[in-house]
Amino acid sequence: MRRYKRVWVGLVMFLTVAIPLAAVADTGLRILIVGSSTVLPVASRSAEKFMESSSSRILVNAGGSGVGIHSVAGGRADIGMASREISQDESKRFEKAHLKIHTAGLDAVACVVSAEIYQAGVRKLTPMQIAGIYMGKIRNWQEVGGPNREIVVVDKERHRGTRHVFMQYVFGNASQRTLGTHLVTGSNNEEQAKVAQSDSAIGMLSFNWTNDDVKAVSLLDQGKEISPTWESVKRGSYPIVRKLNFITAGEPKGEIKAFIDFVKGPEGQRIVAESGYIPIGSFQP
Amino acid sequence: MRADLIYGSTGTRYLEPVGWVFAIMTFIFLVCAMGLGIFLVVESVPVLRSEGLGFWLGENWWVGESFGALPMICGSLIVTGLAIILVLPVALSGALFTSEYLPPSFRRKVKGVMELLAGVPGIIYGLLGVSFLTVGVKDALNLLDGNTLFTAGLLLAIMVLPTVLTLSEDALHSVSSEFREVAESLGLTKLQTALRVVLPQALPGIVGAVLLGIGRAMGETIAVMLVIGSLDRVPGFNIFVSGQTIPSKLGREAAEALGSGLHWNALMGLGLTLFIMVAILTFSGTFFIKRSSQ
Repeated sequence: MRRYKRVWVGLVMFLTVAIPLAAVADTGLRILIVGSSTVLPVASRSAEKFMESSSSRILVNAGGSGVGIHSVAGGRADIGMASREISQDESKRFEKAHLKIHTAGLDAVACVVSAEIYQAGVRKLTPMQIAGIYMGKIRNWQEVGGPNREIVVVDKERHRGTRHVFMQYVFGNASQRTLGTHLVTGSNNEEQAKVAQSDSAIGMLSFNWTNDDVKAVSLLDQGKEISPTWESVKRGSYPIVRKLNFITAGEPKGEIKAFIDFVKGPEGQRIVAESGYIPIGSFQP
Repeated sequence: MRADLIYGSTGTRYLEPVGWVFAIMTFIFLVCAMGLGIFLVVESVPVLRSEGLGFWLGENWWVGESFGALPMICGSLIVTGLAIILVLPVALSGALFTSEYLPPSFRRKVKGVMELLAGVPGIIYGLLGVSFLTVGVKDALNLLDGNTLFTAGLLLAIMVLPTVLTLSEDALHSVSSEFREVAESLGLTKLQTALRVVLPQALPGIVGAVLLGIGRAMGETIAVMLVIGSLDRVPGFNIFVSGQTIPSKLGREAAEALGSGLHWNALMGLGLTLFIMVAILTFSGTFFIKRSSQ
């Protein structure tokens, strides 16, 4: 057996390293939060604060609202994040999971254009015009009062929460097919980058993600011009508003309940406001 | 298996313990490979049953209604083809120069850099691509937008270049120096030796290198996903529009579809399609090597 001494020594060394590692991984409760990249800033900041006074470890991952709902229903995450409601299709499919929604705040989605287009005079669009652009009927900015330049239509992945509420407003159908699309993006980050890189793009983004390169336009709805500001959201006049939801399978218990209560509580609501969203208490439609 | 592995020093027929370990490892590999294939086939049966051949010929991928993979298949073929067309001249000339012209000390440095680059993960290339390449392509070619099949092909070419380059160089360098000496003694110039003597000898190795490159290009997910535009459509002959490849589609939708019936099966069907495409490529590559060595 002496010939195989090295093998044994190697095996023993491997096990002495591996067993304690496995033990370390088991201490403390791990809470996995997955989903909407819109809710993500709230979740990760809250998790950071929450972990200061708790032994549980919280992991926050992006992926989109659809992924959040699917993951929590399938038991691959403890809490799902969604920036939209659970669709009929989903609630039917995940009936057994008894999904529970916990609303933490409010967000609004803007129709955004590249800064060059905004500066060239496209400051407001009607839902009809947006629909025309997304269906490929309006192909040039000239047709909506902009420069003579072709429109780069940026859409989002089908399951994204932002897309659901945006399409619901523009078309009255959350999963509308758009024939005029040039690019499909995923997260808010990606959408923001693609619209910013282009000089003639249109897209949809949470208010928070608009900046100097990506400008939100006003909506011209039934003769009324609604500016994309938090004031009009608070007044209740801005139409594309959605809830920031945390979702659990069944009633939350233990540390998961503690975290959700934390987000809904005063500290969590301050984080919601700091992240640029509207806390639920201060919203009167 | 060598005789002394099977017959021990005493001459009785038995496999040394280490031989058994090797055998088990080989078996594990075979089980993994077969398991993967079987898993993909089993998981994609439902979608193939509901779509039939339309799964490969259909143009519309509308979750809940129809699953047509043609846009993704076309996208994958176009992007990979583009990458190979772009990478071949650079990789081959680079490999020839490094192997035949560079002095040994310099060659080792160049090789080190190549091998370093070959290990850079796709996401790095993807981020560079999304920051510089898309904008660069758009401005240079005066396009409406820079997220195109061409951009993805170009990015993949840059990405697989180090792999193809260093492996082709290995193949060239491992050609026995006797061939070079004989060629020289016959009065051939260095260039003639490289092109007419060394290159043909190294051909099987080079084909292998290119196949590995194609494999990496075909399977690359994140780098492609960030620059291709992710629009499901059959692009026709225009490579300056956005499109979709099989891996980028999988990357976009896998997390959402996990455990959700036909959508998941359809994505597995895409995986199976990619698996078959790579298999066909590898087999035809091996076939080509066999034919050319006869």
